[in-house]
Amino acid sequence: MRDTMGIIIAGEEKIPPITDIRSIAALPIAGRYRIIDFVLSNMANAGIINIGVATESKYSSLMDHIKSGNPWDLDRKNQGLNILPPNLEHLSTGVIKGNIDMLAGIKEYIRRSHQTYVILSLGACLYNIDFKKVMQAHLDTQADITALYKDFSGLEERELSRFTLFDINENHMICDVEVQPYYPKTANASMGVYIMEKMLLESIIDECSARGDHDFVKDAIAKKINGLRVFAYEHKGYADMIDSMKSYYRNNMLFLNEDIRRDLFNPMSPIYTKTKDQTPTRYGADASVANCFISDGCVIEGKIENCILSRGVKIAKNAVIRNSIIMQDSVIEEDVELDHVVFDKEVYITKGRKLIGQESYPLAIAKGTKI
Amino acid sequence: MISKECVAMILAGGQGSRLGALTKKVAKPAVPFGGKYRIIDFPLSNCVHSGIDTVGVLTQYQPLELNTYIGNGNPWDLDRNHGGVYVLPPYQSAKAGEWYKGTANAIYQNLGFLEGFNPKNVLILSGDHIYKMHYGDMLEAHQKSGAAITIAVMPVPWEEASRFGIMNVDANGMIVEFEEKPKEPKSNLASMGIYIFDYKVLKKYLTDDERDPNSSNDFGKNIIPTMLANKEKMLSYTFEGYWKDVGTIQSLWEANMDLIDSPPKFSLTDRRWTIYSRNLALAPHYVGTNAKITRSTITEGCSIYGNVNHSVIFGGVTIGEGSEINDSVILPGTVIGKNVKIEKSIIGTGARIGDNVQIGKIVSADNKYESPMCTHGIVLIEGGASIDENEVISKGSMVEAGLQ
Repeated sequence: MRDTMGIIIAGEEKIPPITDIRSIAALPIAGRYRIIDFVLSNMANAGIINIGVATESKYSSLMDHIKSGNPWDLDRKNQGLNILPPNLEHLSTGVIKGNIDMLAGIKEYIRRSHQTYVILSLGACLYNIDFKKVMQAHLDTQADITALYKDFSGLEERELSRFTLFDINENHMICDVEVQPYYPKTANASMGVYIMEKMLLESIIDECSARGDHDFVKDAIAKKINGLRVFAYEHKGYADMIDSMKSYYRNNMLFLNEDIRRDLFNPMSPIYTKTKDQTPTRYGADASVANCFISDGCVIEGKIENCILSRGVKIAKNAVIRNSIIMQDSVIEEDVELDHVVFDKEVYITKGRKLIGQESYPLAIAKGTKI
Repeated sequence: MISKECVAMILAGGQGSRLGALTKKVAKPAVPFGGKYRIIDFPLSNCVHSGIDTVGVLTQYQPLELNTYIGNGNPWDLDRNHGGVYVLPPYQSAKAGEWYKGTANAIYQNLGFLEGFNPKNVLILSGDHIYKMHYGDMLEAHQKSGAAITIAVMPVPWEEASRFGIMNVDANGMIVEFEEKPKEPKSNLASMGIYIFDYKVLKKYLTDDERDPNSSNDFGKNIIPTMLANKEKMLSYTFEGYWKDVGTIQSLWEANMDLIDSPPKFSLTDRRWTIYSRNLALAPHYVGTNAKITRSTITEGCSIYGNVNHSVIFGGVTIGEGSEINDSVILPGTVIGKNVKIEKSIIGTGARIGDNVQIGKIVSADNKYESPMCTHGIVLIEGGASIDENEVISKGSMVEAGLQ
């Protein structure tokens, strides 16, 4: 895979308040991870040694997370992991309106990279895949573009409407693309991952920019579908896009499911993340914990049920927390009651407070809030 | 030539035979400790926080795992362009080539390494102590006093003083006498095996010592007494805080328990003095619906379905439903089945414990696994051992892999 490079577009979706301060790619998930860790680790595990991460705005959180790329073994003398801040000078408006604008901003980096193929990742998708197999399929089918998808047959229409859907023929070729249609015709949801020759990507960027187009999927793939050999590659394992508070909440809670954990944290293809050297989590004499996923550095003295805890969370005695996601270094004092909440980092809840959200609408609290 | 203020040398070559099956395949400094660390993480992290960026680790006994663990030193921020961490095994040269004969000889054989960094001072450390210490403060005291050597000492309870090497000091803290395990101690200041030498003095004494065929080439037995006899200026530096030699199964078990006392006798949570370790890239730990965890530490990669009380659980451990773990240390990757009872035990890395096994619950007169190293009823199961379903292991047992 040394002849394949990776390009990750660090997401445009917004999930307030947790993306107010960071791009969606840098959003904490499953306790100790960030969403970008999954695609980055997938690429690194396949032996890709040149990865560019194109950022839009508020990228300091992402830069702080990725730094030299060491956790993914991508701190290399040549190539390795590159964070590419937005380059707006080429845009007449100076405003990024779509992923084509971001790609156009990094076209020098793409041009200078000497790989033949590129894996382009557009969205915040959660999955663990062997890219070597996908690449082999791409070569075997002599596709111009191979697009990853997940078959969501059985999911209700309303849920399918949030995806980009592929109409796939009997030869596994994509014959139609619909972006978030109101009436979905298929259940083949795009994972936002496209494999192609680097030269093809460069010409797509060039053409779209010249026409004033902004979206890689709507303007390039959908319009060119009849002139290109676009193949669909089905991912049989778990996959979901994070694009709303609802999907963020649900996908976090899914880590309480053993099968999902086995799938996403396959020991043969580990997911790497920045390490913090926190101590193991301490449980007090009165701790009571049931069905929880807990990172290092926490101190748990209260009662928690169905929760996902990031690193360094402190929960005092007699606090009761259910069905919640608590991010790094939040502090919950005594006698606090929480249900269906999503706490960003460093939220501080003082003694005796009660905060209740709903499954369909979890109560989200911004970073550093003290209540 | 650039000169380093202080280079540290960690003595990590000892076998640690009193740790029994724990050090059969690894050197003592590589023995896991405290849920996610290895013993050597403590001196290495102390060095980094003390501003010492050049560290030699002298290895000899079973070095492979220790070498791999240290790697390029990145986990401790010791991958440096000028300096960093170096593993120093014994080597062959044109004239000779020999094993490290003693602690002093190990440093003597690596004078060439030290020479390359042109250090003003050399810090000698052991690879088998658990503590947090700012060597920089000690170095400052050493430099201010102009001493030839500064030795770290700590006050120990008088009734235990006769188990240690005791330093007798004058009113200015200068060492006037050194007694190894005195029957009637005159002081309770025990040597911690931490020395800062003026490099030139170190070089001279090591070279002289090497010429003496009767010497056992040991710092405590030979170098320190000779320096005292020569009336060198020798300063004591008193350390107050947690320090533990984890050379025996019992002391290793105790030191682990010290972390989970409430409040802990030894806490690692100070973020200005983080103990670094090599990370395994494991997911957060999962706690099942019927699990109960109290007064314990659990770390990444674990799946806990049973009860854990007053225990230290390392990464990647699975504990099945209905199992009860009390006062124990479970090393990485161990899989414990259902309805297992474990008490006051150390279960080695990657052991497999079958369903309904009982470990450390009963005393039996006729115990084929009994070991004099497992004092106070502690049980030690060697890493990689498999204990079959329904087996009962009595208190004070040491079960080796492949022997049961």
